Amino acid sequence: MISPDPWVWLSAILTMCSFSLLYGDNKFFRFAEHTFTAVVIGHNVVMGVFTLKDRFYPLYAGQKLLLIIPLVLGIMVIFMIWRKYAWLAAIPMAIMIGVSQGITVRALINTDVMGNVKAVISEGASIFVGNPADGVGTLIRVAFTITAVFYFLFTFTFKSTTSRPLEYFRTFGKYVLLIFIGIYVGNQSMQNSMLATSAINRLVRNWLGFG
Amino acid sequence: MKIPELQARHVWAIVLIGYLIPAFIPLGMSPVISSATQTVYDTIQALPPNSIVMCGGGGVFAFDLESSAGLIAALKQMSKLNVKVVFYPMWIETMQFSKYCVDSARVDEKYGGPWKYGRDYVILPYIPGNEVGLVSFLNDVKKTVSTDYAGTPISQLPIMDSLNNYKDISLWICAQWDGVTILRYVTGEYGIKVMWFAQSSAYSAFGPYMQVYPGKIYITNGALGGAQYEKLNGIKGLGHAALDSNVVFTLMFIGFLVLGNLTMLYGNKKVEK
Amino acid sequence: MSTMDSISRFVRTRITRIVIVITLLSAVAGYFFSSPEINNLNAELNLWNMNIITFTLFIGLITIYFSYSKSVSQRSTNWPFRLYALVLIIVWIVMGLYSGLYSDMYQTAFLSTKITLHIAILGQLIFFYLSAMYRTFRVKTLRTGILVIFALAMVVLNSPITLSNWSAADQISYWLLNNPGMGGARAVVLASGVGGVVLALRILMGLEKGALRATGG
Repeated sequence: MISPDPWVWLSAILTMCSFSLLYGDNKFFRFAEHTFTAVVIGHNVVMGVFTLKDRFYPLYAGQKLLLIIPLVLGIMVIFMIWRKYAWLAAIPMAIMIGVSQGITVRALINTDVMGNVKAVISEGASIFVGNPADGVGTLIRVAFTITAVFYFLFTFTFKSTTSRPLEYFRTFGKYVLLIFIGIYVGNQSMQNSMLATSAINRLVRNWLGFG
Repeated sequence: MKIPELQARHVWAIVLIGYLIPAFIPLGMSPVISSATQTVYDTIQALPPNSIVMCGGGGVFAFDLESSAGLIAALKQMSKLNVKVVFYPMWIETMQFSKYCVDSARVDEKYGGPWKYGRDYVILPYIPGNEVGLVSFLNDVKKTVSTDYAGTPISQLPIMDSLNNYKDISLWICAQWDGVTILRYVTGEYGIKVMWFAQSSAYSAFGPYMQVYPGKIYITNGALGGAQYEKLNGIKGLGHAALDSNVVFTLMFIGFLVLGNLTMLYGNKKVEK
Repeated sequence: MSTMDSISRFVRTRITRIVIVITLLSAVAGYFFSSPEINNLNAELNLWNMNIITFTLFIGLITIYFSYSKSVSQRSTNWPFRLYALVLIIVWIVMGLYSGLYSDMYQTAFLSTKITLHIAILGQLIFFYLSAMYRTFRVKTLRTGILVIFALAMVVLNSPITLSNWSAADQISYWLLNNPGMGGARAVVLASGVGGVVLALRILMGLEKGALRATGG
């Protein structure tokens, strides 16, 4: 039985307006598109107001007057919209960029680079240790990682006596990346499939009451 | 024999019909439990009483919907254990996602569940800055957040009395797209175990982190992992609904792949404009 | 050059570079070296960063307001929809501030509009995915063949119908993900990690001016 809930009806209408893009660009899709934009902007503002109340609570409560500085810097960052006064936003932007880059780079060094290098080295040392079946998997993992990294980092050509074998190395790395992309595409399509399921279920089950 | 090239609209029509079938007629597929999902379940089940579990990350709600199946089942599981849960919203939609999961799990006392807000679970407000906020929180909770989502000072919430920094956190559960930030800092810098109910594509892309920190990170695979977790907890939710359409999707995938290659082999030379 | 221009140039070139060096190095040094003073500075800068970022949530509103109101006043293409969007923004803000972010009303409205639309927009991709796949996944070369085989393997081996009829499918799927797939994934993570470190070094040395130059002047 069709749902009497007005929110379910709104949800169904917006879903159908969005899917109408498959037929071609039309006014219904434009309506859905602008609704989306408006709600995102509105939500950002509402979230911003409540977050400001939380972030500057110690200032309101008189516990930490130093927060006046980030308050002023935050107001300065809004000036990035106006070309004439955009330079005012440079200092708070510099703080945002510097702090976030500093925090990010230490994790990149620690986890992404050194962590993976250590994992490859320790796996390389354990290829011939333990179960041969696991050893084959480990060998594949190590060899594929090294060749794929080689492809990423050394994709320039040069003429020398070693260029031929290195070219084979690079080509193998390219195929390793194709394997990864194939696996990723398979998984990504399952993810999008789930989203399509959710959208269609909202129409068929929540709105029309089937299933 | 010549096989004509299908137009895009024909393909879309077939896809739409394909997805409508399981929506109208549930196929009743049942998930098969994988070792990764079982490990996540056992890890949560083995949590000592009064453990503090953080649930959070940064993500877009629409993407996180895929992994919400696992998180909702995990919340139901944790409501039966004597653990405390603190939700940590790292992106602007995560607070709404946390509320969605809590309401869907029906663990709050207003739905007849065992949890009381403030005593058993707390939802923090949006903490901006992504990894910056996360590091600040893990170093000093009270300095980073002063109130909960509703503006209540955290000094008035019993659960926050025993949460001062990363040392008080037993486990971190992430059901968001940006689980990588959680892995890098929560496990990488502070050594806390992370259970990530990841999206399907995230598993294939970020699996290396499980090798970097073996035994500390476990990742489940998308909606299918969520369905498996639901089965372990004896519930049927979004994960199970996704299984039926996944079967149809697989058949369509194979069908279009075979048809496309047969068209290439036997098709006419005209190319659709 | 006027005084304002000189000041703006000085701020955008000299001051920002000093700020970036202090903030970036305090975050890195605080982690790799044991120094309570640097840790305290870093902790304070983290809080300032979080508070400043909150203000950026309002920039979208101001930008959209200027863009859409100009479009409405000039009666350009789609101006009725833009007027509708401007009105909806105001209605939404009033509703949100009145009811609160965690209220059932706000949550229902949010789920019924934004989330529904986002899911529908992203879910539509599967149509384009499958039609693109029909056209492009044609095994003409070894490269395409590899791509197709592994994509197909992932989809088939993770399918519930395969898993329930063939117990080894789960193990094979995980083996593919954790061995051949892991090699490529690890390479991507490593290479992007190296790229991220290089970017941070370039920012530190003042070679990356992008975001700060974009402030105009």
